[in-house]
Amino acid sequence: MTESWKITLRMFRQKENQDSHFDDFQMDVKPDEYVLDAVERAWAFHDRTICFRHACHHSTCGACGMRVNGVEKLTCITLIRDVTHHGATLKVEPLRNFPVVSDLAVDMGSFYRKMEAVGARAVLPVTEAEIENPPSKWDADDSQYIRLSDCLECGLCMSACPIMATTPEYLGPAPLAAAQDQGLKRKPELLSIVDCEDGVWRCHSAFECTAVCPSFVDPARRIMNLRTQVVDMRLRKLFGKA
Amino acid sequence: MDQTRNQPSAGKFLSWFIPVGRQVGGWAFALNRLTAIGLTVYLFLHLFILGKLAQGPGAYDQFLELTENPLIKLGEWAVVVAVLLHGLNGIRIVLTSFGVGVTRQRQLFFGFMIVALLLILMFTVRMY
Amino acid sequence: MSQSTSSSYISAPRPGETSWLWLIKIVTGPLLILVFILHLTVNHYIGSLPSGLMTYADVVHYYQNPIIPAIEILFLITVVTHSLIGLRGIILDMNPSRPVLRAINWFFSLLGVFSVIYGIWLVLAIASKGGK
Repeated sequence: MTESWKITLRMFRQKENQDSHFDDFQMDVKPDEYVLDAVERAWAFHDRTICFRHACHHSTCGACGMRVNGVEKLTCITLIRDVTHHGATLKVEPLRNFPVVSDLAVDMGSFYRKMEAVGARAVLPVTEAEIENPPSKWDADDSQYIRLSDCLECGLCMSACPIMATTPEYLGPAPLAAAQDQGLKRKPELLSIVDCEDGVWRCHSAFECTAVCPSFVDPARRIMNLRTQVVDMRLRKLFGKA
Repeated sequence: MDQTRNQPSAGKFLSWFIPVGRQVGGWAFALNRLTAIGLTVYLFLHLFILGKLAQGPGAYDQFLELTENPLIKLGEWAVVVAVLLHGLNGIRIVLTSFGVGVTRQRQLFFGFMIVALLLILMFTVRMY
Repeated sequence: MSQSTSSSYISAPRPGETSWLWLIKIVTGPLLILVFILHLTVNHYIGSLPSGLMTYADVVHYYQNPIIPAIEILFLITVVTHSLIGLRGIILDMNPSRPVLRAINWFFSLLGVFSVIYGIWLVLAIASKGGK
């Protein structure tokens, strides 16, 4: 017997040159549906002017990031039963720290530019990827096998980071994680980009990025590691390349 | 197009101290930042007040009488609490910054805060 | 679509907050814990009375042992350094402009140096009072 819940979908709305407000949509949903399904139904059957982003519906593209009840989530994999209950409200808002284009869609341009600036890799050889149970020794030609990078570039981490809220120039968790992924030894030109005020030293170990990342990137751990890489390289430079 | 809203700005610094919807690490960050500012204010106040020592026994002993005031005593207690919270959370930051316990930073925080609580209790009993 | 953000993101890295300042902060942190425990213990639990240093005379007497001024000066330098680097970091998180940051750098450097000089003077002044 499939359950059906009645919920109030409280959606953030903002159109060009207008003040923002919240619209309430009374909806019938099934608890095992996803938040994105509810948003789509609100668009399809209640208000065709709703603007939101979605694509793959299986946590690969990173397009559907929103704040659900104030917490950053990928809405295509967020079950309704995990975030609300029958008769209750479900609040959806756009990601923080990006300008709102329309309703739930934000301008991610600055984020993509930062990812490009650090040369973020979309695919990498499996020999360089952090995978579970790697072989004790890779064969010489194993690097021909490539793997998608864990990072979806969804921007949830950029929204959750408390420093991103006050410093637009800060590189942010995902770009720093992408820099760490390449390694300063392999790409020493990254050193000056990450070892500066808007780079790795702006992180204050809040770990909010790792807490919301839907793709196991663990940006906080990577930033910590990147810091030790930077200090290591600076010490080497100071004492002459050891 | 009014795109100024929802953008990063210095004015949003209050959001650091209101970790609504945030997880353990966000609360730790807020606590550390708050105690940092509080302790810095105390530090320079303390340095200034100690100048009274140089004014000789009369001025200093007179000042010491002031410190018997229960409000001042509460302030002193707050300083020690702040030092314990900031210091122990700081150890967690030092550890994770060098790769130790990064995947267990939540447990580290809870662990250190329990230690802090115990030390605070011990100190409070001793003080009063 | 109109662009409200600048077209080229990466400008030259701003000078100042490099690895060294952070390293100093993270080293002075644990050092402070040790020195603070020392400072608190001796100032409040030792001294001539069970309740610690309670009068001007107690403080002067206590400062006659040269270890004490040494620890206090170490404590002073460590805590002022840690505190001001940290406070500067908080201000940096608010994205100050270059001129403002330069002013802050100067102000904090002067404040730090002045505080340390003042503190050292005070410690030595108190220690010298006991000779009379």
